[in-house]
Parts: sequence; structure tokens; C-alpha cells
Amino acid sequence: MSIELEEIAEFLKQHHPFDLLPDEEINALPKRLSARYFRAGTKVLSPQEQCLHLYIIRTGGTETRDPNGQLLARLSEGECFGVRAMYQNGRAANNITTLEDSLCYLLPEKDFHALTGKYPQFSYFFAQMGGERLRSGMQLLESRDDDQLKLMSVKVSDLIARELVSIDKSASILEAGQLMSKERVSCLLITEGGDGVAGIMTDRDLRNRVIAKGRSYDEPVTAIMTEKPISIDPDQYAFDALLTMTRNNIRHLPVMKDGKAVGMITTNNLLARQSLSAVYMAGRIGKLTEPEEMAKVIAQVPELLSHLIEAGATSQNAGHIVTTLSDAATARLLQLAEEEFGPPPVPYVWMAGGSQGRQEQTALSDQDNCLIMDDAYNADQHGDYFKKLADFVCDGLNKVGYVYCPGEMMARTDEWRQPVRTWQHYFNKWIEQPEPKSLMLCSVWFDLRPVHGTKSLFEDLHRMIISKAKDNRIFQAYMVGNALSHHVPLGFFKNFVMIRGGEHDKTLDLKHNGVVPIVDVARIHALANGVEAVNTYERLNAVKAFPSISNQGASDLLDAFEFISITRLKHQVRQIRRGEKPDNFLQPESLSAFERSHLKDAFSVIKNLQGALEHAFGKSGT
Amino acid sequence: MGLRQKILDSRLYRDFIQRKATGPLRTYYDVPPADPERSVMETEFIALDLETTGLDPKKDEIVSLGWVIIRQLSVDFSSCEHILVRPTKELSESSVVVHRIFDSDVADAPSIEAALEHLLPQMAGRVLLSHHAPIELGFLGQACKQFFGAPLQIPTVDTLVLALRDIRRSGETMKSGALRLDTLRRNHNLPPFRAHNALSDAIAASGLFLAQIAKRDPKGELELDRILR
Repeated sequence: MSIELEEIAEFLKQHHPFDLLPDEEINALPKRLSARYFRAGTKVLSPQEQCLHLYIIRTGGTETRDPNGQLLARLSEGECFGVRAMYQNGRAANNITTLEDSLCYLLPEKDFHALTGKYPQFSYFFAQMGGERLRSGMQLLESRDDDQLKLMSVKVSDLIARELVSIDKSASILEAGQLMSKERVSCLLITEGGDGVAGIMTDRDLRNRVIAKGRSYDEPVTAIMTEKPISIDPDQYAFDALLTMTRNNIRHLPVMKDGKAVGMITTNNLLARQSLSAVYMAGRIGKLTEPEEMAKVIAQVPELLSHLIEAGATSQNAGHIVTTLSDAATARLLQLAEEEFGPPPVPYVWMAGGSQGRQEQTALSDQDNCLIMDDAYNADQHGDYFKKLADFVCDGLNKVGYVYCPGEMMARTDEWRQPVRTWQHYFNKWIEQPEPKSLMLCSVWFDLRPVHGTKSLFEDLHRMIISKAKDNRIFQAYMVGNALSHHVPLGFFKNFVMIRGGEHDKTLDLKHNGVVPIVDVARIHALANGVEAVNTYERLNAVKAFPSISNQGASDLLDAFEFISITRLKHQVRQIRRGEKPDNFLQPESLSAFERSHLKDAFSVIKNLQGALEHAFGKSGT
Repeated sequence: MGLRQKILDSRLYRDFIQRKATGPLRTYYDVPPADPERSVMETEFIALDLETTGLDPKKDEIVSLGWVIIRQLSVDFSSCEHILVRPTKELSESSVVVHRIFDSDVADAPSIEAALEHLLPQMAGRVLLSHHAPIELGFLGQACKQFFGAPLQIPTVDTLVLALRDIRRSGETMKSGALRLDTLRRNHNLPPFRAHNALSDAIAASGLFLAQIAKRDPKGELELDRILR
């Protein structure tokens, strides 16, 4: 294939849903395309006009308006129009006008249908857009909507999070931009005559229609706003809002009542609803009395996670929300234990370690926890009580769905159910006399977070750990040695080094070769600099201020962490949607070329910062 | 247009050379040329680019050809062709550096004569489109004379000439590099392209041409005559 056609194939691979097609199909596609060019302001299609091609925007942008002039969508590079015509006997449904000079690739109707017939995931993407099978799309969305996530029962009016930010249409672009910046909003309603709606303006408009066009900031906002924006009634349901935004590919939706704007909802509001449903789930756990009942709620975590990821949550959002539910189950089990065995004879605090401690849990998590008792603890007198309590909670968590830790790092293990003084002794030993075995424990016990009980018990211990770890270069060097034992799966030529043979043949282990190395690097920098945070994002943000890692290095690592984590979560969501058990083993071929190259970049960031780690702290022990 | 060029492009001259032409060039002349009074929309173009060992058609040789057809102001990628040509002499170092085509690549390639047998039917009845057309016209004309006994006459649109007219009409001063294909494409919001393959250059020129026409007349109703070189 020629270089130019290869470029077209590469372009398609980077855009959804073409990235869903297998390589051989996508490489054959350019030969079936043709290219057309339209000046800004050209009407490309009108309702009922013959349209025998699917248009793929290569450069530029277009606007879709229905026959009444109502704005339906704004499309840019990599997006498609003419979809409805593909399902309506080659007749366009809407007006398509170019907003910028645009080059489009045209895919003939018959080739489009050949692809949709052959690849269901490709077809599903368009069928929804085309409305032809909207009904089945609705059903699918509804079936995903379980009892907990009642988008159908939440009114749009409940979604309005803040006072509407608007500006009169006489304002200049500069004034509008300043208002957006001051109010920290991504979208502004342009009003006329008080509360009449003239249009809408987004940060994307500022980028595309002002900065990119070199337009003067003194021009009126009316020059760049979108007129007659699509809107929604406050009495409609959140589900309708989500559907409207998804179908029209817009992120902001004005809420209108009797011709007056009453608010604005964004995709973020809907995201907040998803996390609210997690709050609801947590509330429900707090009312249940049997682990088997809690298990039914926790069993919906994969579904919740899928919703979150599909609604655009970051991995940090998702980790936080999912961990909230583990915390809720833990706290509830402790309450039930106290009801059963009576109040604790001495104060205690239940600690979460590992990913629960860091608030970075995903769809699959085992339990890592320990118990710290007040120094008034006496093994002969109180040992039995805390053993029963720990067994109750650990067994309960196991039943709920958080399986026993294979390394027995749980409060039901005698060693990890101790008074403060013993824990001080443990940490002293691990830090002062590091050895490979104790370092294995560090990844769990240096990421502790109190979940339930007398939290002050942990505070003194935590301060001691932080101050000791900060000053001990030998301990740090041992930690580095341990961190570097997790290799990044990149070969010398930046190719992926995959697992060979066995059940996970030709896959990458995104957890152990991607997430864990970053968590390790963040932990070392945090401990060495006296940072108390245990969450990896918080640790990396906090260590930017210290010389052990460059600001850029920490930022790169944050980006890499988010990318690898979200890739892992999306992989798990795909498995969940297919009804499979989620795991961490990803086949690189399942990614688009663009994602693959991103993933390689993320891995090389880790590799570089592992190298820098050794340089900053030395390395011993392994 | 100079008088000499007018004569060379004339119907009379075409009739004259048609009688001298042999082989595929004879067949080429059997098809009437594109009508300069038709609209651009109704005209078919062949965007063509050559790579050569140098700039002199008398001394240098064609090493590759790439083309794509434009119909109804739409670039038809299914018509793409890219042909390497086996030169009669060894490739010079400078040519290898520029085109990255090595002797080993072209050892089994067709001769220029065979390549033209394939190309000429594609050119018949169409308008040649090229960025800086004198190269294409010079080399193809030379080859036609050498192998098929007569020069090549073809209505031609040169995107470089169109760009030059645009700049002159705008009254702006010409910046250095302003007529380069990649600069012009960028100015028309066309995607960047990786150069140095005859086909990629031909496709790049075809995109630029669409943009240049859209600027003149979005419906493409203007007469071919107004954009011919």
C-alpha cells in the first residue's frame, strides 16, 4: 500500500468506531474511499437530498441542524455524518453545513452496509446514531439500568447543580471569556432581553472559532455563539438528557422552561449522578444485616464501574467511588460484630491496606486489612474478643465478595492484629533493618488508611513511620531495589514484551507491569519526602514540590498512571459487558494503534522514572 | 499564453501529430480531448506526479509514476496507481537520496515504455493535473516522442499556477516557500502529508486542487478553460 493510503488507514484507526475494525479490513478501506473538499459555510447536505455516502471528516468541522433549523450536533475531525441517510434509502435527514474549510472522506453506501453487516460493534455505533434501531438501543440502555441507577427516576431539574451563568448578547467575546474563567464554567448561555435564549457558547468555540481563527476578542459573542441550541425541559428525566447528549454528541444542554432558561446541565452532572448511585449503594449496605445481602449490592460494583467508565469518569474517580463501597461494607460488618460480641474492651481502629488503603480499587479486589488496638490491650483478657471480631469481619468480607488475601495480610492473622506498641516495633524493624521479606509487606502496610474505629490510634503511629522512613537512606535504597523488580513490558526497540504461553499467552499484565511500578515509585518519593498521603495521585502531586523527582517527571507519571489505569478499567468493563470475569491481562491487539502507541509512551515514562529513582536513592537488596 | 504554446495546443497541431503517433499514443489520440467549455465538475482529471533522476528530460529518466483520478470534483482513491520504472542507466547517488528508490527496487520493474502503455489510456480524454506541470509534460513528452513517434498534447491544470494567481489576486507579497505543496495545503486546512512518493504527491496535489476550485466556485460550475495553464 502506498504511503498516502497508509496515512488514511492510520487516520481511520485512530477514530471510533473504525478502530473497532480488524487491521486487514481497515487497510482495505482507503481504496474504497473518495475525497471531497468544502469551503467553510458550504451546505453539504439538505433534508431529502440524495446521499449515497457516509462522510468522514478528515479536517475541519460541520454543524448538523434539523429541517427546522434546530442545532443537533457539531462534528469535528474523525466524526461522521450522513448516517441517517444510510438507513433511510439514501436520503439525508438533516442540514449539514461546514463550519470550517473541510476535507471529507466518502465511504460508499454499499461498503458501509457491508461493514455494518459483518461487524456488530461497528454497526451498533451507527445504528444508535441513525435512529433506525433506536428502540433496541433504548432497551439496551434500560437493561443496563439496574435498580441502583435510576436515571429514569431522576428529573432534569434535580441535575442542575448551580446558578445559570449567562451573559447578554451585546457582550464581547473577551467579556464572555472573562466571565467563563471567573465562574469556572465550560459553557455560557447567551441571553437576549433578560432571560430569552439567543444562543450558547462553549470553551470549544473559544478554541475553534476565536483563537484558531485569529478572531478579535472585541467582536460580539453573537459572532461565535451557536444559535438555537438544543435544550431540554426540567421535567424530563436524566435518562432523556443523557440520551439527547449522546445522540447529538454535545456536552452541554440548556434547561428551558416556558421559553426561559433555568439552568444548564453537562455530562459532568450526569457523572455526578453515577457517583450518587454509589452513595445510594453505600447507604443500602449500611442497612443490611447479612453478608449474603451485602454481597448482592457489591455484586453490582462491576456494573457501577462500567457505568462510571462509560460516562467518562477518570480512574481516580472510579477508584475512589468503588473503594467507598468496600469501606461501607467493612464498617457495616464491624458494627454488626460489635452488636454481636458487645462493645470493644479497649479502643481499636480497623485499617485498610493495599489498593483499598490507597482508594484505588477496581472491579476485582481481595482484602488487605489489619487491626490496631490501644496499648491498654492485654492479650489474655482481650485477645479472644478481637479474634472473634476480626474473624467475623474477614469472613464477612469474603462472603461479600472481597476474597481472602492470599498472603494472609488480614486482621484475622494474629500477627496483624496487635496493639500500637507492637506495630511501632514492626515498623521500626522494617525501616531500620530492611530485608527482602519485610519489603514485600511494605506495599501493603505502608499504604494504610483508617476505615472504622478510633482513628487517633493510627495518627501517632503514622507520624512515627513518616519521620523514620524519611531519614533512612538504607531503607529507601531497599525500597528502590524492590520497586525496580517490577519490569515494564517494553523491549529494547520499544516493542511490547508480552506474557508467553499459558492461560494469558500474548497479553500484558497491566496491573503488575503497569500500575504497580507507578504505585511503587510514588510510594518511595512520598516516604522519602515525608508526604503523608497514600493515594498515588495525591502522592505524586505532593512530591512535585521536592527535589527527588522533577516536576515534569511527576506530571508525566501522573499522566501515565491515569492512562494505564483507565486502559485497565476499560479492558475490565469490556469483559464485564461480555459477561466474562474481569482480569488484568490485556491483548495489545485489542487496542487501536493510537492507544497502543500511547501505552508504549506510558510504559517508557515509567521506565525512565524507575531509572531516575535509582539515581536519586541508590538501590540495594535485590 | 504565448503564440507557440497556442499552436502546440491547437486542434490543427493535434490532428497533425495524431497521424505520426504509434502504439498506445495513437490510441490515446483516438479519444477526443477534454472540452474546455465544459464545467470543471463535469471534467475528469488525472492528478499525476513523476519522480525523475534529474530535471532535464533529455538526459534524465523517470523512476516512478503515481496518479489518481478526479471525477465530479471527488478524488477516487480506488483509481490510485503507483509504478516504479526500470531506468536504463544506474541510479545516481543524489537520486537515490532524494527518492529512496534503489537499483534493487527497480530491477524487476517495467520499462518506461511499458509504464506508458499503462498510463496513456488513463490520460485519454482527461485533463492532466500536476503541481508544477512542466516536469510531467517535459518528461512524458520526451518519452512519447522517443517511443511512440510524436509529442504529447494534453490539456493541463497546474496547481502551482493556480496558487500563483491566487496570491497575485490577493495582492499579498509572496513569502518564500509560499508555493510549496505542503504550505499551500496547510493554508487550505488540508491534512499534512508525507512527501516523496509519486502517488502521495499526486494525491496531495489533487486535494489542493479541490480546495482551489472550492475557493473559486463551490459548485464547480466554472469552465475548464478558466483554469487551464
